[in-house]
Amino acid sequence: MLKFAIGALGAAALAIAAPALAQEQARIELMTFHSPALEGNLEGNDPERKVYVVTPPGYDEDSTRHYPVVYYLHGYWMPVEVQQQGFQIQEAVQEASDNGNDVIMVMPDGFSLRRGGFYSSGPTVGDYESMVAEDLVSWVDANFRTIPERASRGLAGHSMGGYGTIRIAMKHPEVFSSIYMMSACCLPPQPVNAADAARIEGMIEEDVANAGFGELAGVSTLAAWSPDPTADNFLKAYTGLQEDGTVEKLAEYRMAANSPLVMLPQYLPALESLEAIAIDIGDQDFLLEGNRAFMAELDRFGVEYIFELYEGDHGNRIRERIRTSMLPFFVEHLDVMARTAEGE
Amino acid sequence: MKSALLAAAALLSLAAVPAAAQNITAPDAVVPEGITVEAVMVHGATLEGNLEGNALEREVMVVLPPSYGEDPTRHYPVVYYLHGFAISGRDFYDYMQVPTAVAENAAAGREFIVVVPDTLTAMGGSMYSNSVTTGNFRDFIATDLVAYIDANYRTIPTREGRGLVGHSMGGYGTWVVAMTHPEVFDSIWAQSACCISPRRESVESATAMASVPRDGVDQSGFGMRAGLASAVAWSPNPQKPPFYVDWAVNADGAIDEHVLARWAANSPLAMVSSHITALESFDGIGLDVGDKDGLVRDDTLIHQELEKFGIDHEWAVYEGTHTDKIGPRFKDVVLPWLAEHLDMGE
Repeated sequence: MLKFAIGALGAAALAIAAPALAQEQARIELMTFHSPALEGNLEGNDPERKVYVVTPPGYDEDSTRHYPVVYYLHGYWMPVEVQQQGFQIQEAVQEASDNGNDVIMVMPDGFSLRRGGFYSSGPTVGDYESMVAEDLVSWVDANFRTIPERASRGLAGHSMGGYGTIRIAMKHPEVFSSIYMMSACCLPPQPVNAADAARIEGMIEEDVANAGFGELAGVSTLAAWSPDPTADNFLKAYTGLQEDGTVEKLAEYRMAANSPLVMLPQYLPALESLEAIAIDIGDQDFLLEGNRAFMAELDRFGVEYIFELYEGDHGNRIRERIRTSMLPFFVEHLDVMARTAEGE
Repeated sequence: MKSALLAAAALLSLAAVPAAAQNITAPDAVVPEGITVEAVMVHGATLEGNLEGNALEREVMVVLPPSYGEDPTRHYPVVYYLHGFAISGRDFYDYMQVPTAVAENAAAGREFIVVVPDTLTAMGGSMYSNSVTTGNFRDFIATDLVAYIDANYRTIPTREGRGLVGHSMGGYGTWVVAMTHPEVFDSIWAQSACCISPRRESVESATAMASVPRDGVDQSGFGMRAGLASAVAWSPNPQKPPFYVDWAVNADGAIDEHVLARWAANSPLAMVSSHITALESFDGIGLDVGDKDGLVRDDTLIHQELEKFGIDHEWAVYEGTHTDKIGPRFKDVVLPWLAEHLDMGE
């Protein structure tokens, strides 16, 4: 009872103190949220997820105001803290605010034991797709003054996160209204030939630990898209490799079933329901061809999108473009006012 | 007397013959006393703009249980029952004697509304897939149809009150609609599901398919039409009339692997591993197939895939063909099983 009274007093003191600590700059906080969707995954990826949340200047003072939210999915290989060191996402929120547009921006931890969960869904890696579209969005809406509506939620991402953006937009069109894919990876289907399968089956833990970017990416995507809880290999992935050295095609079929380029015709209604789609990529990016193939599919099916090809490679201008291109796109397309009473 | 009529109807069903358009027809179903059947037209907003010119207004058979008219406050669970290839929803309803299934289950204390939608298309079947060519039938079942039934009948309008069942192409539809719209249905059962493994083609078979004239579809035979229906459902191309499809063979006469990849992405076997969350969310999953059905191998494969991922399910291989036990098993096995899983109201 006494404890409760002290707690209440403490809360009251905080409420009074808050306006004094005026929030003049965009503020970034590293927090954690719980994701039931990740429970029980075979890689031991933690259901307690780190997440960066950036609130705009003035967030503390105006306790009745609600904000649109931009969800940003980071790329492969580097943990979320390193991604933040490189990309400094609070700069974008500050600049948008300087231009009169206040938004909340959120970057969840998409890292995994194999350096990236690909925002996909499977028992080996875990259901990162639902982690983002369900658990994260619910947590953000419950803990921040958001406009908790589709029209005020945007989804963006870089590289692996660009893949996650289009995948989640296709599968959860009810959650986000506009999307921005930056240098998206993994759009065309990934072949699994006998040589790849044999190489991966032959890896031991140490090989995986020492593998370079390109070598490990093939392992990580296989774990994400061709999981096998009963596999003999420690990766818990199905390569399709047979005793006679040939490869059974189920692994490749599963890769196809996770390829946005291949999935597109079934998910056309979801893409057509979006308010806006943006795609950008550097002219020296090794993923340009895959992005061009994906855009050719969008063209063929008459899906409208905005595209920008800029001078750059896969990563050298991402920090700048989050600030100068990505966030301004969402300022233009997201609703800054609630559409329904529920959003108030 | 009643049972004699039923037996006669069953014999007639077995004697069902293909009509002019090569679609299977069946004599009218027996409607036992107390059962009300309504044939309604449901508008498919999700089907608008389809390039085959398939009808937007779909006939839907709604079979109401005996107490429906007597107790105006009672709400009922709904079982959506998807028909197979080359048959209309009404003929399937007739063939499977759906009113008798509803009556006998009601007599045993299990009252359902059973809904049989029609998805017959120009090629003989929708494959319950989303396609700019065919129409977005995956979404039609999960959104337009369910919304209409909930708005117009005293249903239990929640996930817990809805089951999804289908035969053959409808069994395939059960898998893909359930995996992609798991929020809509509580429990599912696939009878003799087709199209479990990815469809492959040789250069010869793919070339033969690409050579069928648009006005020769109806005469091309059951197997060829099933291939055409699969192609327009899974590799549509709005820029390639008259079929609006990408064929499995390209202009150079070689197999187009991208087209086969698109077909593979629509195969339940390839979809299982990336839809585990959806599959685990169902209260019940069932599948069965006859031991004399050519699909027994394919259906065994998806049973094994579910086992591999630890997805609980009912699985039976029974004595029978692709068609001879479907109606009786819907009545005697599937509906009683659903009564144990769905919210039955009372």
